[in-house]
Amino acid sequence: MEENLGCYAIELEDVSTYYYGEKRPAIRDITLRIPARVLVLIVGPNGAGKTTLLETILGLLRPRSGRVITLGYEIPRMASKARALSSYLPQDFMKSPAEPFTAREVVAMGLASNTPTGRLLEGNLRRVDHALKMLGMLEYADRPFGKLSGGQQQKVLLARAIAREPKLLLLDEPFSAIDQETRSYITSEIFPRLLENGCTILLVSHELNHSYMDADIVIRMVDGRIERVITRDVHAIH
Amino acid sequence: MSMLFINSIIGGVFAGGLCGAVGALCSRLRLMTMAFSMAHAALAGSALALALGADMTSLAMLFAIMTAIMLGPLADYLGTSLDLISMTLFSLYNALTFIFIISTPGPALMTESIGQLLWGSILAIRPTYIAYLLTASIIIIAFLATFWGKISSILFDIRLAEAEGVNVKTYKYAILLIAGATITLALRITGGFLVFSLLYVPAAASLQLKASMKGIIALSWIIGSASASIGLAMSFLYDLPAGSCITIAALILMAMASAYSKLEASLAPGRW
Repeated sequence: MEENLGCYAIELEDVSTYYYGEKRPAIRDITLRIPARVLVLIVGPNGAGKTTLLETILGLLRPRSGRVITLGYEIPRMASKARALSSYLPQDFMKSPAEPFTAREVVAMGLASNTPTGRLLEGNLRRVDHALKMLGMLEYADRPFGKLSGGQQQKVLLARAIAREPKLLLLDEPFSAIDQETRSYITSEIFPRLLENGCTILLVSHELNHSYMDADIVIRMVDGRIERVITRDVHAIH
Repeated sequence: MSMLFINSIIGGVFAGGLCGAVGALCSRLRLMTMAFSMAHAALAGSALALALGADMTSLAMLFAIMTAIMLGPLADYLGTSLDLISMTLFSLYNALTFIFIISTPGPALMTESIGQLLWGSILAIRPTYIAYLLTASIIIIAFLATFWGKISSILFDIRLAEAEGVNVKTYKYAILLIAGATITLALRITGGFLVFSLLYVPAAASLQLKASMKGIIALSWIIGSASASIGLAMSFLYDLPAGSCITIAALILMAMASAYSKLEASLAPGRW
């Protein structure tokens, strides 16, 4: 797949995004450059604009002003190319018990998005099972997604995000239903592997205590603005 | 056994199956009100054709497809929800239908064509009509089989599919166009006011049986086929309106599916 990676994985310049019918922007005048292959933690209270920032980066929300470049592709014009190289784990992931797809099917869909017709080859299916195994969900692969617990559903969606082997991983409150032991495993084993493979990870959380995570950049958002950026051995521009 | 009866059963199998499968897709994608407005667009198109003496299927198809194409942009332009726009258009199409029917030359309300338009007729099932249904069935099955990976992603979670680069709009419009064509074809045997029985009752019945997503679509196809065939046979044998007979057959099958599901749940291990 074509890649267009420059020095920065994400570049935002004076970006403001409004929700439909709102007079007040959800994020305002955001200028930020995030280098590739770093782990970024975005923190802030509810309503700070963290999710809006992620969805603006992917072009799911269209900024009213400013410029967004994700993985070298201008958003929203070339959003589909940036999205094909990215994975997203949304905050509202829970499905009803009647959900008919199995856990394995849900992970496979993530890979189907990146093939011309959505048809998967043997190698893709191995990747699906490997991702499920990494998250300890292989034994639940054939169970209906809706019958899994909240934590298990979150793990399956995380497996889907990882199986896509993304260049940009956007995680919105990814540990809200996951136990402490699995959190530590993900941050100490899975994240470093993804970073080594050239992935940039943006993780959103409303929690301020992230002692389990070794972020390269911590961004604190308040009221739609970036209040503070703390970096460690990397060069992020705010 | 007359040729008309055999044609009715064959037509019912295809029309019911198509409607069942499309209904399962539309209900999962929450496109029900859009399909509702498209059905009434097709009804208005058919009524206009009757008033003008034109081909009913062509004008019905044109109205349904135009509605599918303009619903999204119209909702965006007016800044309102798709559901609200769909229901607004539904009212408009009903108003137009009655105006077109009254404008039909001659004693309109007494004609067989009006009866076919409003409550369906087995007389609509001719070899050409069966050929249309067969073609539509092949197109739908090929579309689902070829693009299932992406379609299933949209059916699971539209927002997530979009975030992963699936062109959700194109697939949604493709499904709406298929729905428009299916509704237009089914309209001739069920009539404009009962076409939903074939679209949504089979989907509702298959959901009772707790299958996989592919299973739900397949079951909706089978239940739709069975409803339409049984209904058309009843219509033929007892000289009753085809649409009403299909609706009653579909509801009986849904009640049976529900009873089976309840029985299965009560016999499942762990129940006492």
